[in-house]
Amino acid sequence: MRDRSLNSGWAFAAFPLAVIFVFTLLPTIAGAGLSFFEWSGSGLPQFIGLENYYAAIGHDQQMWFALRNTLIFALATVPVTVILSFILAAILRAEWFVGRRIAQAMLFMPMVISIVAIGFIWRWVLDPHSGLLNFAMESVGLDHLFSNWPPPWLGDSPWALGGMCFIHVWRNLGFGVVLYLAALSRVPKSQYEAAGVDGAGSWHATWRISWPAVRHMTLFLIITSSIWSLQVFDLVWVMTGGAEQPWTDVLNTHLYREFSANRLGYSATIGVFILLITAVITAMQLWWMRQPRKDEA
Amino acid sequence: MSNVWAKPALPWRMISHVVIYILVLTMLVPFAWMVVTSLKTDTEAIDVQQMALLPSGPITDWKWHNYIQAWEDAQLGQVYLNSVIVAVVVTILSVLHNALAGFAFAKLRMKAKNATFICMLMTMMLPYQVYFIFAYILCGWLGYVDHLHALIVPFLASAFGIFYMKQSILTVSDGLLEAGKLDGMTNFELFWHVVLPSIKPAVGALAIFTFMASWNNFFWPLIVIDSQEQFTLPLSVAGLSSGLYVQSWPVQMAAATIITIPTVGVFLIFQRTFMQGLALTGVKG
Repeated sequence: MRDRSLNSGWAFAAFPLAVIFVFTLLPTIAGAGLSFFEWSGSGLPQFIGLENYYAAIGHDQQMWFALRNTLIFALATVPVTVILSFILAAILRAEWFVGRRIAQAMLFMPMVISIVAIGFIWRWVLDPHSGLLNFAMESVGLDHLFSNWPPPWLGDSPWALGGMCFIHVWRNLGFGVVLYLAALSRVPKSQYEAAGVDGAGSWHATWRISWPAVRHMTLFLIITSSIWSLQVFDLVWVMTGGAEQPWTDVLNTHLYREFSANRLGYSATIGVFILLITAVITAMQLWWMRQPRKDEA
Repeated sequence: MSNVWAKPALPWRMISHVVIYILVLTMLVPFAWMVVTSLKTDTEAIDVQQMALLPSGPITDWKWHNYIQAWEDAQLGQVYLNSVIVAVVVTILSVLHNALAGFAFAKLRMKAKNATFICMLMTMMLPYQVYFIFAYILCGWLGYVDHLHALIVPFLASAFGIFYMKQSILTVSDGLLEAGKLDGMTNFELFWHVVLPSIKPAVGALAIFTFMASWNNFFWPLIVIDSQEQFTLPLSVAGLSSGLYVQSWPVQMAAATIITIPTVGVFLIFQRTFMQGLALTGVKG
């Protein structure tokens, strides 16, 4: 179409892009710059070169705990979320599944609910003395397996980290299921028909045809859920209050504490670490998925 | 859509149903339990030995008062209004802005269009942990700190929204736009009378995402809002458990139910649009 002006697009896009520029791009650049300074928020920032980075790597025990927990969190939640949502989508797509529309909607429910409400619910379920979980375990006799019953599910222990991984998967499963359902519905029927002629069962069809066919969706989901996991904050905050503990701290809660204590430069440094880890992991995943496959040759 | 491959054997189908419905139950039971607990007395709620399913007594004797107490403790009147104002204003304006920019990227000529678009896409990957500090300082300069402005202005457009709108507007046929041009419509008239009506489902989906994201936003309000009068719901309700107020499971559950109702309501009413809209996100994925 012929435009009256070469730049008519900017008239429409200028304001929205300005909002993103002013509130996202500029603050990112400034934030990355701030990581080389010491600043309490008032007065002038003081340039200290790489001091913040040395401190983060060399002198901050809590940073290592937070980094370890964040990586464990991502490694535990991403593969489980992706594979489980694929399997669920493959089943929920089948016509023989009774009530699939309802099941699809219900699986998505936790995603639309405020994390604060989710935190309340799960803190209550996991409460050592009045919680639903311990009640259920006691009533089937599982409590005898523990030497010190009740275990502090949400105290400072690996249990708490594991519990948060579980809740994270539980909450985000529906997202993957919906996206996989859409991707699966776009796989051309001819691909299945070819397999059907061969007398392939649905197990075969699922893993040999569907799974490779939705590879791009898998990549998209791995990247988005990695980002969500590496940047987790709300869940940890509502479950533990963001306390400085070896087993429940993640990079983001550590960063928030530094920010609240007016150590803005150091807080920005942790932010840069999160940015770098996210970028490296995303790049690795993209590179890995771009490798040529036999079926694409 | 028919399944062209063979059905799995009966036992497999049964196992599939059982596993999935158990999973569905784990999604539902906590919420059902939340509502039930919100109507119990404090002692009933923590009485593990007699984990009664329902609160005792006839329905009129249930502790409906918990809702009043939660409402008053967290001062939910003002707070609810704040949340509604923020979510509604952000939803309407940001969807409009994103659609305008999406229209520009999809159909109009602009200098450096591709480079700008790629830059914008890259901002989607930036973690907010790196930019919130200066976004906060900026809000301070603008006088937005501790004011609802801070929850609205930075959200007036989003890279994801523009991307999503662009993808949808690309499907609008050029012929339709040409015809409008011949009728002497301006670009804005084309946008308003031709483009928007033909991408209604995508606009609806984006509106729902935006509303939910705004309603549930927690980190940013925690940073920029200090005084109770400016709280949004998640902040206020989170405060119920941090020792500021009386510790009571039923009251907390009542508060959790109160903030959950709007999003669950929106989700259940617009469930179809929502799921389809979400599915469109990954079209290029």
